[in-house]
Amino acid sequence: MTAVLSLRDYTLDYLTGSRPLRVLQDISLDIAPGEVLGLVGESGSGKSTLAWAIMRHLPKNARELSGSIRLGDTDLRGLSPRALTRIRGRRIGMVFQDPSTALNPTLTIGRQVTETLVNNRGLTRRAAWDLALELLGHVELRDPEALMRRYPHEISGGEKQRILIATAFGCRPELIVFDEPTTALDVITGARILDLFARLRAETGVAALYISHDLALVSRVADRVAVMKKGRLVEEAPAASIFARPAHEETRKLVAAVPRPEHRLVHDRPGDRVLLAAEAVSVRYARRRLFRPPPPPATHAVGFDIRAGEILGIVGESGSGKSSIARALTGLADFSGGIRFDGRPIGSVRDMDGAYRRAVQIVFQHPDGSLNPRQTVGEILSRPLKLFGTGPADLPAGNLAAEIGRLLEQVRLPAAYATRWPHQLSGGEKQRVAIARAFAAKPSLVICDEITAPLDVSVQASIIELLLSLRAETGAAYLFITHDINLIRQIAHRIAVMRRGELVDLLPIDAVDADHVHPYTRDLMAASPTPVG
Amino acid sequence: MSASWLLRRLALILYTVFIVSVLVFGITQALPADAAVTLLGENATAEALNAIRERLGLGDPIWWQYLRWVGHAATGDFGLSMRTGQPVGPEMLTALGRSLLLAVAAILVMLVIAVPLGMLAAVRQGKLADMATGLISYLGVSFPEFVTATLLAMLLADTLQWLPATGYVSPLEDFGGALRHLALPVLTASLILVAHVARMVRSETLDVLHSDYIRAARLKGLPERTVLVRHALRNALLPVVTIVALDVGYLLGGIIVIEEIFAIPGIGRQLMVAVTARDLPSIQAGALIMSATYAVANTLADVAYAVLDKRIRYD
Amino acid sequence: MTDLLRRLMRTPQGAIGLILLAVLTAACLFGPWLAPHDPEKMDFLGRFRPLGAQNWFGADQFGRDVLSRLLVGARSTLPMALAATLLGTVAGAVVGTASAYLGGRWDEAIMRTIDAVMAVPGLLLALLLVSTLGNGAGNAMIAIAVTFAPGMARVTRAVALTVRGQDYVKSATVRGESASWIIFREMLPNVMAPVVIEATIRVSFAVMLFATLSFLGLGAQPPASEWGLMVAEARHYVHQAPWIIIAPSLAIAMTAIAFNLLGDGLRDAMNPRDER
Repeated sequence: MTAVLSLRDYTLDYLTGSRPLRVLQDISLDIAPGEVLGLVGESGSGKSTLAWAIMRHLPKNARELSGSIRLGDTDLRGLSPRALTRIRGRRIGMVFQDPSTALNPTLTIGRQVTETLVNNRGLTRRAAWDLALELLGHVELRDPEALMRRYPHEISGGEKQRILIATAFGCRPELIVFDEPTTALDVITGARILDLFARLRAETGVAALYISHDLALVSRVADRVAVMKKGRLVEEAPAASIFARPAHEETRKLVAAVPRPEHRLVHDRPGDRVLLAAEAVSVRYARRRLFRPPPPPATHAVGFDIRAGEILGIVGESGSGKSSIARALTGLADFSGGIRFDGRPIGSVRDMDGAYRRAVQIVFQHPDGSLNPRQTVGEILSRPLKLFGTGPADLPAGNLAAEIGRLLEQVRLPAAYATRWPHQLSGGEKQRVAIARAFAAKPSLVICDEITAPLDVSVQASIIELLLSLRAETGAAYLFITHDINLIRQIAHRIAVMRRGELVDLLPIDAVDADHVHPYTRDLMAASPTPVG
Repeated sequence: MSASWLLRRLALILYTVFIVSVLVFGITQALPADAAVTLLGENATAEALNAIRERLGLGDPIWWQYLRWVGHAATGDFGLSMRTGQPVGPEMLTALGRSLLLAVAAILVMLVIAVPLGMLAAVRQGKLADMATGLISYLGVSFPEFVTATLLAMLLADTLQWLPATGYVSPLEDFGGALRHLALPVLTASLILVAHVARMVRSETLDVLHSDYIRAARLKGLPERTVLVRHALRNALLPVVTIVALDVGYLLGGIIVIEEIFAIPGIGRQLMVAVTARDLPSIQAGALIMSATYAVANTLADVAYAVLDKRIRYD
Repeated sequence: MTDLLRRLMRTPQGAIGLILLAVLTAACLFGPWLAPHDPEKMDFLGRFRPLGAQNWFGADQFGRDVLSRLLVGARSTLPMALAATLLGTVAGAVVGTASAYLGGRWDEAIMRTIDAVMAVPGLLLALLLVSTLGNGAGNAMIAIAVTFAPGMARVTRAVALTVRGQDYVKSATVRGESASWIIFREMLPNVMAPVVIEATIRVSFAVMLFATLSFLGLGAQPPASEWGLMVAEARHYVHQAPWIIIAPSLAIAMTAIAFNLLGDGLRDAMNPRDER
């Protein structure tokens, strides 16, 4: 049986400034009819470039040095642009990472689906419209008739992704390339998209290339898994065995970095002393405006407490209000209700004095934005030291520099980084500097707002390791906001589940699988794929 | 687009006109000119001056004078010109009509040239057409209207004698003559706009061409022509509506100079004459009408944008 | 600073802009010494003398040397345009930053008012102001500054709002830094770059606006050799001597081009992270 897609010794460079950059090196792979090949790698491994090479949509500075890409009997590299147009959509479909940008914002859904069907299946407009209705109904979208008349901004991300998947399958291609199709979606929505993928695949028997950074996820949806590193394919193995018997070092690294809820990283128990208690905290953004109804609150009367040295996880989907809690606790958002810190009542932002601001630190999600681009790392770290007087008692330049060096070493960065600018650091390094800045204040509570979300799994694992060792050194408590259920189950003592601004559950970690949890909590836990094997 | 959004836009126009009226009234009040002296001349007797001050209400408190002026202006009564003794309102509105003819023609000419030019430059990014457009843009925005007007008149009217250098002919009386007389002013006015708008169209088109949904449209197998025409050009043209609206302000300023140079009796020239003669009612009327025109043009552009672009929810 | 210059020289726009700017600066500083003739010296035998060895750019209706008048005239054009831009930028930056910092209703009120003021076409506003203040170069400069301020306020506010939303500013707020530290140390350095770029490009508009006002008889007054004024005076002699129109016209355009190029060059040079 011939392969649907077959790559042989494919090598590609990007021409950048001074010399060419090797992006793909001697890639050979096959996808059999009906097979799903999962492609895993960290950012920069070349997996996306590979997808673009297959789709024949490479940037201008790409140079293909050798190798072949064959779709069935067709040599894709030899095709003219016109011939390619007849292949795309009809024989290879693609589903993109972010459904919100993959649809033209100014055309109705119906028009975009039917134009594809008319073009790729040679249908009349009428027939294409009817088929579109059927396809949308088949991917469990309610009221396809109404949906077809809407514009992309009027429907949710999950609905958009369903529409894009329905369209891709509806053109009956031999192969569909999936480029991280659930990354931009919420956990539960993503899980349902995966279910849909599994069903459609079983029904149609289409072959697929499924690209993801998430090894656990890929091992569940794919038949075989290929692992990429720095432009090379380092390992190919059946999905069922890749976790059990990773052969290559990179695969082992990826396997080790995958958070497994049953593999706890924190074994101690926090003390009984309540460090911070939030009492009926509500956050409401956006002032009232003329002619407009007042906006709903971002969080509604949320109450919880954090004990000294505890790790409390807050989970929920985007828009659930979990970041608003962080904003309220740090005085970035006005709130109603009250906070008690070390027994001291804090009724509003004005009550947050120097002592509170020193004790409660926050690390933000995006490392790029959290460091001032016009200050060196040393300047950035010296500020909390001076402001809170947590630096050495006498502050001649030498001692300050030594203290900054110590802080950098504490977060496993060379002391010489003090003279660097933020744009000279990688994402993980920036996040370490942000963590060092927080710990410079000698805090008793550090709020981590999705700090691992933009990072690769291996970097994420090392950041978590760093946070845990810092906690062991300083005894700080963490309020860890995340949407990564598996990760938080490894480290948190308790988990708070938020939904639409309300706290629906606050559970000790060993009770999250219990029967009495909120149905939403159960959905959330079920939606997080844990590795197979 | 909802009723409350339109209501808000309307309120904004009113606020704009209010601020502009305060500004114009304030500035003209500070003019070092005594209306009574301007009207009667330096040799008028004290009684005569006092009488006319009484009649014009110049002794009243300033806010009362303002309210009276605004109240009358709202009904189209801007008072009598100190220079000609004629009612200012109708005179200015007639002049505005001539200016709008010039402005609309300039915008049309600009659109016909700038939009294809900008798009061509974007589609052929980095190629000769792109570089040529870039050069034209740089040169275009660097020549003020009075220079363009003078140089064009020198070339096309004096040297080549193709077009009349100055004057205005109503298109209702002599359409051909009107076209010939409008050619130079329209060309001048549209040149700087072409430079600016072509540049903006280019960057908007590039943004759209690099967007995910254009890539998606290509990768789902749509022919390049469909991608460009149905998906790209349409979306790239939307922001141009706003850009053009903003340029109307620039155009109205430029019209003052252009009308002065080509002797077109539009609102810009009337304003220059009024400024030179320190004719307060004419200055006030001209400035207010011009600014209100711009505010309305901007609002119309916003409404057009809202109708065209389904993404924006006005609520 | 030298680093910025080096990066500026590396972009083609920046390099050409800098060279043109150097020529203009030389004319401003040393114009009277560089001028081959006395710019005011009339020579009735040399009226409308064409371009040649005696008068490189020809002579005008009084036989005055056009090149010398241009060189000396640089002083009455460029410094005025620069001063007007600087004044307008500073005023606008203060209002814009204040508006962004105050936020809420104040921000809304300030911005709507600025929008309203911007409904008055720039040249018209300058015209009204000059007619109130009286004709003259100094008043024209003030009028241009006032005309520029609302636009600069808008640009500054937009940039300041973006910067204010950045996590590093939030981080400083959470730390309990003072308002002055946040504004001057965290925000200002990041707001500066886009504002400087915008202001540079606006110098070219100031040059053109100033020349236009002089052309209309409201700015610099005769016998100054301001370039706009030179064009206005030369218009009557189109037939005899086109060069007395073309020379100052090109001088104005060259200055405007110089600052446009410089602004675009700065946009690239001031953004070290953008490697496209």
